[in-house]
Amino acid sequence: MYKAVIIGGSAGSFQVITRILHSLPPTFPLPILLCLHRLKHVRSGFVEALSIKSAIPIIEPNDKEQIKAGKAYLAPANYHMYVELGNKIALSTEDPVNHSRPSIDLSFITAAQVYREKLVGIILSGANRDGAYGLKKIKDLGGLAIVQNPDECQVRTMTEASLKMTPVDFVYNTNEIIKFLQNIKA
Amino acid sequence: MTIRYEIGIVDTRNIIKLLLDDFGYDFRDYALTSFKRRLEYIITLYALRDADGLIARLKSSPDFLSQFLSEITPETTEMFRDPSFWRLLRDEIIPETMRGSTSKPRIWFASFDSGEELFSLTILLKELNLLDEVNVYCNVLSEQTIQHISSGKLDLKDIEINEANYQRYNDKGNYSLYFKNEGGSTFFDTDLIKNVSFLKQNPLIEDEPGAVKLILFRNQSIYYNQLLTEKIFSKLANSLVAGGFLALGVKETLENTNANNKFTIFNESERVYKRKNN
Repeated sequence: MYKAVIIGGSAGSFQVITRILHSLPPTFPLPILLCLHRLKHVRSGFVEALSIKSAIPIIEPNDKEQIKAGKAYLAPANYHMYVELGNKIALSTEDPVNHSRPSIDLSFITAAQVYREKLVGIILSGANRDGAYGLKKIKDLGGLAIVQNPDECQVRTMTEASLKMTPVDFVYNTNEIIKFLQNIKA
Repeated sequence: MTIRYEIGIVDTRNIIKLLLDDFGYDFRDYALTSFKRRLEYIITLYALRDADGLIARLKSSPDFLSQFLSEITPETTEMFRDPSFWRLLRDEIIPETMRGSTSKPRIWFASFDSGEELFSLTILLKELNLLDEVNVYCNVLSEQTIQHISSGKLDLKDIEINEANYQRYNDKGNYSLYFKNEGGSTFFDTDLIKNVSFLKQNPLIEDEPGAVKLILFRNQSIYYNQLLTEKIFSKLANSLVAGGFLALGVKETLENTNANNKFTIFNESERVYKRKNN
């Protein structure tokens, strides 16, 4: 039914994403794309920290890497991460968008253009508005939009901005996001 | 920057066709998503409204092409991006490049830099007292870029990041020696680049200095598709002398390309390769 899941998060999202990854089986049927705001100049450590409790391998992809089911792709520090036609990762050093590189908007928009109605987009806790426009694009192109419940978020700015911009399909607590993903079909 | 305007794939292909048919610039094998993003950026920057507006402008005003070409490749946006790479360059690569050279070694920026990488390198060379001991060549797509870089006025968006990068590169150095601020703009010392030779190129990089000892090609192949990446890597391999260095961006790799068997890896995390003898 779906071809990919894309998740965007910023301040307050690390624990949520760790819990999600911890709860998914190694047989998860889709690729997961992760665009999380992070320190520009710290290249190592993040993927290792996320990997500790994850059964799914987490990769900081090189440019042109083929996207495969059952793997999570984390946008590398100081690059934008796009999904390119042919189901490949493309990286870019173009200007920050919404003061962010990687920008969640850019990852979401490019993924929406490739996967269209076969994409699930999830926005988690965060302190700026990056991702709101991208989630709208996913919705506009027929994909499914999920926002973490702002009441549960450490910082609610990003989820509230997303809810303001587009009517989403679900507002979920972390447990509900996990349950949804555990039942998702390829 | 926020996102204002988006164009479709068909419009993107039409512009690529116009650039080839009317001007002879071949962008067909540039990575589609990035190229499309760049067109959107140019349309917004010059208030051209949409793809048709850009096409009309390219057709009606020949001078606009140079401006277009100076904007079509993304800016580098940072001085000393990846400070650990620049330390490696200073501590290992440049010393090895100088060793045993009877003539001035050639260093080639084969990427289309907007000045930041070039000034970072020349600052590094100045701090090693080697500015007059090497020949530096720098690829450019347009005359406008030569003027832009030669003026020393770079569009540095975030002064703090650039300074922090420099400090991580050289915590004993004094970054402020190399530029002055005038009227809200940063002007780098153009003495740093007085010996640089600019190489005017087409998008397929068909010209080369030859017998190069170090090629800097960081974050350029990310803007190509697989086919063009293969072609250009093989060209770069042919321009390097045996033992010469090729520096890619930290997320670019020769793996899975035909050029891989012509290189050994010199530093994995900074993606620096060394040309074999074959």
